[in-house]
Amino acid sequence: MILDPYRIGAEPYYQPQADEIATFTAAYQERLPVMLKGPTGCGKTRFIEHMAWRLDMPLITVAAHEDMTAADLAGRYLLEPSGTVWHDGPLTLAVRHGAICYLDEIVEARQDTTVVIHPLTDARRILPLDKHNEIVPANPDFQLTISYNPGYQSAVKDLKESTKQRFIAIDFGYPPPATESAIIARESGADTDLARLLVAIAERSRNLQGHGLDEGASTRMLIHTGRMVRAGLPLATAVQSGIVLPITDNPDIRAALTDAIEACLP
Amino acid sequence: MSAAKPPIALKLVAEPEGDTRALHLLMRQRDSLRPLFLSTWEMLSRQFQPPELEAWAGAVLKLAHVNAGPSCLLAYWEASTAGAMSGEIAPLLGAAQASVEICRNAGAQAATGALKALPAARRVLGNGAPLSRWWRAMERLARQAPESVVPVASRMGEILQPGTIEAFENFVAAGLRAAAGDRRKRIAFFSLQDELARRLITRDPGAVTFTDIEHELKAFLTALWGDVPLLRSMALEDGGQQPQRRAAIAEPLIRLPEIYRGVQGDAARALFQAAAAHAQAHLALGRARFPIGQLKPLQVALVGLIEDARAEALAMRALPGLRRLWAPYHVAVPTTIGTAPMLLARLARALFDPAYVDDDGFVSKGRALFTAALPRINESAISREIGMLLGNDLGQMRVQFNAKTYVVEPLYRDDGLGLWDFGDDPQPTADVLELFIDAVRQRREDNEGPRQEHDPGGTTPAPGKARSVAPNERGVIIARYPEWDRVDAIERANWTTVREVAAHAGDARSIEDALDRAGALRSRVARLVRGVRIGRTVRLKRQQDGHDLDLDAVLDAAIALRSREKPDLRVFRATKAMHRDLSALLLIDTSESTHDRLASGATILDVERLAVALLAEAMNQLGDTFGLLAFASDGREDVRMTSIKGFDEPYDTDCRARLAGLSSGLSTRLGTALRHAGAVVGQTTTSRKLLIVLTDGEPSDVDVSDPLDLIEDARRAAVGLHAAGIDAYGVVLGRAGSEAATRIFGRGNTMLVHRVEDLPARLSELYFRLARR
Repeated sequence: MILDPYRIGAEPYYQPQADEIATFTAAYQERLPVMLKGPTGCGKTRFIEHMAWRLDMPLITVAAHEDMTAADLAGRYLLEPSGTVWHDGPLTLAVRHGAICYLDEIVEARQDTTVVIHPLTDARRILPLDKHNEIVPANPDFQLTISYNPGYQSAVKDLKESTKQRFIAIDFGYPPPATESAIIARESGADTDLARLLVAIAERSRNLQGHGLDEGASTRMLIHTGRMVRAGLPLATAVQSGIVLPITDNPDIRAALTDAIEACLP
Repeated sequence: MSAAKPPIALKLVAEPEGDTRALHLLMRQRDSLRPLFLSTWEMLSRQFQPPELEAWAGAVLKLAHVNAGPSCLLAYWEASTAGAMSGEIAPLLGAAQASVEICRNAGAQAATGALKALPAARRVLGNGAPLSRWWRAMERLARQAPESVVPVASRMGEILQPGTIEAFENFVAAGLRAAAGDRRKRIAFFSLQDELARRLITRDPGAVTFTDIEHELKAFLTALWGDVPLLRSMALEDGGQQPQRRAAIAEPLIRLPEIYRGVQGDAARALFQAAAAHAQAHLALGRARFPIGQLKPLQVALVGLIEDARAEALAMRALPGLRRLWAPYHVAVPTTIGTAPMLLARLARALFDPAYVDDDGFVSKGRALFTAALPRINESAISREIGMLLGNDLGQMRVQFNAKTYVVEPLYRDDGLGLWDFGDDPQPTADVLELFIDAVRQRREDNEGPRQEHDPGGTTPAPGKARSVAPNERGVIIARYPEWDRVDAIERANWTTVREVAAHAGDARSIEDALDRAGALRSRVARLVRGVRIGRTVRLKRQQDGHDLDLDAVLDAAIALRSREKPDLRVFRATKAMHRDLSALLLIDTSESTHDRLASGATILDVERLAVALLAEAMNQLGDTFGLLAFASDGREDVRMTSIKGFDEPYDTDCRARLAGLSSGLSTRLGTALRHAGAVVGQTTTSRKLLIVLTDGEPSDVDVSDPLDLIEDARRAAVGLHAAGIDAYGVVLGRAGSEAATRIFGRGNTMLVHRVEDLPARLSELYFRLARR
């Protein structure tokens, strides 16, 4: 089948934090569109991969960007030796053949682009392709999921009210310390003490959120740091290159964060 | 008197109203000044055109009008002659303007001194923007420390040694802050008799002052415990003989010394961190206040010591690395000298450092008691219990304890005063008071100091000539405007009078603190700024040339070729940076109703102030031209406008101080305020002019009984603004004025903020939405 490459083979690891799996399953049963909210690196993408695997659905991921046009989503005519040929875009592919379409960081796309999803996210469940002069009714399996980081984007790029109100939302945050250190230990192979220490370090940086940092260290960042330590790097160096240097360029904040991290180390 | 006049003066006599003529007439009566004036004039007229000379003459007249006195005029002429070589008149006019300001606030001697210091400043700073910043710093000094202008001016060469204007501004700011309103200390600082002052100008590379490290410390503490600390520096010490003052906690403030004497570079940085972390540990980990009761000084000291150890033990449980920060300062070792301070320092070390060996019975007992209480370490009561016990012991040992000379050891710990509640018991024993007497006195100065700043006794009256011109309370009349009479349906010309009232300078730090507390909001607005600044490129499709192919256009062209039609060759995509050409004026309603308190305890004006500060910070970062204007009215003859920031003024501490100094009062005559604001924003040359009005209800005034009259007048004013190409938007707080505002500004141009607390977020969003169009 055309969507086979989009199927997920092995189970992606995901540690549930609350009832997000139940919420998503219910939304999928009703084919309601879902919005995943939360800071970067807290597991949104991993969650949708896990859910696609769990529901045994192909997953088509589109990373939205500023230059993305509606044609990039829906499809366009391309020129071939025999003449023009219509090529479905990723969204149309998912709508036609039945897949979960995941639009990552949707607000990065321009607002006129995002309105193409409107007819898909209400009772109509259709995708009008004006250039192709076609209306694609959604396959019964089709479902739309978007992700959205409310903190990171600027409010001028905020989602339109008319877009927001079409979605079931699931809010993600950083997991509680015990869960987070378990995740880090599993994903990076770090031992429990190191994982706990990394979470304590992350808390220092998350304290600075809004006071010099836009966002604190993400779970993903901690996993990467843990892997650096496992690869043989001393902890202090790994933390410096894995956490401090990536998240800030401000020398004062950098110095303060380094010293605060120093206070966490035994 | 000689009848001979220089030719240029004769020529200009023909112009009847000119300042040039007025100045020459004035000089004709001044025998002592005339020769020098004439030579200056001749020199300047070789360099400048008549209109420039006219402006210069105006400047001299202004100086004369504030009674600057002959020596000040002479100094100005000298400065003018020296500055004329550059061929620019603007710096000379700026100098006169600033001198007038200084003369008003600090007297003629100060203005003369500043002018005499000008060559030194010019040598170091040149003639451009740094020099005007130098003048502004001098003006600030004149306003806040009038007596210090002369000492500073006379040592200008020395003070400018570091060679940058930032260093000078820093020097002035540090002096004002460190002296905390104490005139004597200010003079000592600005005449360079103070160690801090000397350090600042000698640019000792090792010196670390509180100001240098404040931002970093704040971030450090926030990262550790999550709450933003309120850090302040302490007032200067009188001399170098006393022991170094300890940090002090006056919840929620933490005060740190401006410098730690004798500590340099990284060591100083570490000491500041240790002290701040210790003080914040007290605040962050729950803190009790103990009633002082009838405690003896020794007990007071011991309870404080145990409480310090308790807070540190708790802090190190969560953040073990803090031990490395504090350990270097615990240097007490067992000795045979058994004085109380020695024993206390050893006890402090014993409680802090498990590896420390001390066989002394008292120290061991303290350690044993503390260890036994570890299971209850979350309760501050243990500090009092153990402290009292040990205090009794030590009392029975009859060791010497002098409350007058006791200071907390080690160096990084706080003075312990913040721990005690003197509340209901105003009569603690004399000894205990002694323990705190120095700290209490200092604290009082720290807290009450700034109030003395407006003390008029501080100004130095220059002999004979100068008098400081007090700003008129009612303000200067700056304009008259018509008003619409709804009943008679005619416009009454010159009906209202607008007066400019000088702003009261408040404490700029209060604004900065409020901004700090609104951290999340602030970073959201900062992101808005970044979005606008970086993301503002427009993509252009179907271009003649560009960096990228426009795929759709290419396809169209290929299809056209195949169907043998003429293709459109504009197949490229390009991007173009948007140019912002906008000036915005924010009109702030400060009428009596803004005095109302919200559930949170803040007044509406507080929220307005925060909202404006937040937006102003954003606009400043964007580099947008903007002005801030506050208004209130008291009848049609008295519509008061207070300029907080003019369009061409930089948004600096002075502006923030003026914003902080706003107070509520009087009524809201909105129409007149709109007309005036329109006139102000109309003077800017940008293509887009934006006026945002921040008000909390419908217009009203004492001399108008039917509010509908004022609403209708304001509506006409808003329509007039629209006709003049100014976009006026109303931001209405609360529900009361929403209907009136919709009527005045139109539905599309009104933003209703029902929950006043939302204003800071909403206002900035509105601006960015409007500014994008």
